[in-house]
Amino acid sequence: MTTPLLDVRDLTVTINRDAGVVTALDKVSFFVNPGEVLGIVGESGAGKSITGAAIIDLLVAPLKRTGGTITLAGERLDTLSPKAMRAVRGGRIGFIFQDPMTSLNPVITIGRQLCDTIEAHLKTGGDKAKKMALEWIERVGLPNPDVQFKRYPHQLSGGMRQRIVIALALCANPALVIADEPTTALDVSVQAHILQLMRDLHRESKTSMMLITHDLGVIAKMADRVAVLYAGRVAEISPVGELFNAPRHPYTRGLIRATPMPFANGEVRLDQIPGAMPGLGKTPPGCAFNPRCFKVEGDCRAAVPPLTSRESSAFSCFHPLEKEIA
Amino acid sequence: MLNYAASRIAQTFIVLLVISFIAFLLVANIGDPLTALLSADATVTERMELIARLGLDQPIGTRFLHFLGNLLQGDFGLSYRTQDPVAKLIIERMPATIELAFVSLLITILVGVPAGIYCGVNPHSLFGRFIMLISTAGITLPNFVVGLLLIAVFSVQMGLLPSFGRGTVTNLGFWSTGLLSVSGWRAIILPAATLSTFQVAFVIRMLRTQLMEVGQSEHIRFARARGLSEARIWYVYAIKNTLLPVITMLGLQLGNIIAFSVVSENVFAWPGLGSLFLQSIQAADIPVIAIYLIFVGLVFMVINLVVELLYPLIDARVLRRQS
Repeated sequence: MTTPLLDVRDLTVTINRDAGVVTALDKVSFFVNPGEVLGIVGESGAGKSITGAAIIDLLVAPLKRTGGTITLAGERLDTLSPKAMRAVRGGRIGFIFQDPMTSLNPVITIGRQLCDTIEAHLKTGGDKAKKMALEWIERVGLPNPDVQFKRYPHQLSGGMRQRIVIALALCANPALVIADEPTTALDVSVQAHILQLMRDLHRESKTSMMLITHDLGVIAKMADRVAVLYAGRVAEISPVGELFNAPRHPYTRGLIRATPMPFANGEVRLDQIPGAMPGLGKTPPGCAFNPRCFKVEGDCRAAVPPLTSRESSAFSCFHPLEKEIA
Repeated sequence: MLNYAASRIAQTFIVLLVISFIAFLLVANIGDPLTALLSADATVTERMELIARLGLDQPIGTRFLHFLGNLLQGDFGLSYRTQDPVAKLIIERMPATIELAFVSLLITILVGVPAGIYCGVNPHSLFGRFIMLISTAGITLPNFVVGLLLIAVFSVQMGLLPSFGRGTVTNLGFWSTGLLSVSGWRAIILPAATLSTFQVAFVIRMLRTQLMEVGQSEHIRFARARGLSEARIWYVYAIKNTLLPVITMLGLQLGNIIAFSVVSENVFAWPGLGSLFLQSIQAADIPVIAIYLIFVGLVFMVINLVVELLYPLIDARVLRRQS
């Protein structure tokens, strides 16, 4: 078995509120292999973005990481000093933000933002940094790099801006890229282009990727393995093929069936999961999914099912679906 | 850019025209220049002659155009109080006020801007909270109270600085300056400090709020996610985003300092436009009041114009909003 590039164990994040401490991420564990794309899916509020931010220590108060270990290529990240962490951010882990309209500094040119990022991590500056910045503008598919270099974000379209966001995340050659809903804020036609670009860049550079999204279509196109989050816990981690064809966790199956997917005969199947995901601090005892689960039994209400591995999958369920059923 | 500049300049002229009209109405309608200019035993003929000479029998539009024409030729009329040309009075007093405003603005920039940035970057630090506490006092204390307190402490108790006047003034022909002598500098410290107290406190609070707001924004988070140093994030990426409102404010403050130095000038017997204005009000010297009004309007409009012409250099998005 290969050594994972990123290994996250029992990651716990809490929110300090006046009313008390609420758990936002409850012992989340997963790993990302070198060169692999791990999809992270879940509904809004399941903890996807918090997971991404917690890895590079970018949580904003009142969110706080309170437990777990994060290891990148054998080195613990959770115990690093702020200064050492700064070198990891952008340098070894690139982060692609969601909304290109707000994530670029409006009063600093594209070129300056790229050069600053390159100079922060690679021991280079001046003309060399500028040359690299121009190369990146070209690599992410913008015409006339010289012109774009001097432009401000407001002079670019949403899709072009997201390309710049991607260039900014990748320009210091990180080993891992965390993409937090990279296409959610874009038009559908632009989404396809951005996904294609990300796939091309991933193939060229062999970087690992954590792709956070609520869009199973994006997962199907991009991911090798998928971690499903539910109410701040990992429900299931499976290779992408098995996830869609033979999900083990009842929630995973519900999530897939709730996505409109036309069949060959033109029929569209669409099921709903009854109820809603529990809000923060309202997680029921036992398995968080038990009030909505069709396979619920007494033990589901009594204890939190641990993440158990079986064959190529891992799931947190006392009564997993058998492969034949799905 | 040219369109932008032209539209700003045109706006400035329109506003100035309106201000002049209001000032003109003031001169034309308040008080009776005839009683002021005629002797008590003037005959009806003399009275009619004067009315004709002053053009008071003309329709109001013609009189306004005449008034404007005179303004453009530098003829601002005669002071009722001293019978001097208003232009001469204003020009005599202007250097004192401009120098006071300049030193106040300097204090505002040198003290307010660094303190505001410190408070914005470290809003929860002990020193930051201390600055905020002090600035609350600066905002709430009325100008004349600050002036009197400063006089009580530095002039009366410690005897360090003079409490009135401009010190030794050097006449450069077109300009009489107090900034070439030690006593001039000593004299300007207290009034300038008084005048800048509010401005300093205001700039601190505004910079702090702006920086805290920008610090929360997504692009600053992204900059942090790219591993840029905190210094670069705050002092380049965040501050550039706060420049627009801050420069606007500083510009308006400079206008305020010049226009409303009335109180401080009075407390420190500063021989500037503010004291002239007060004397004119007490004597119902309408022509001087009217010209002072136009002057203040002019100052505001010119500063505003300069500030607005600076905008596109700081934030290119301004030009796009125009089109």
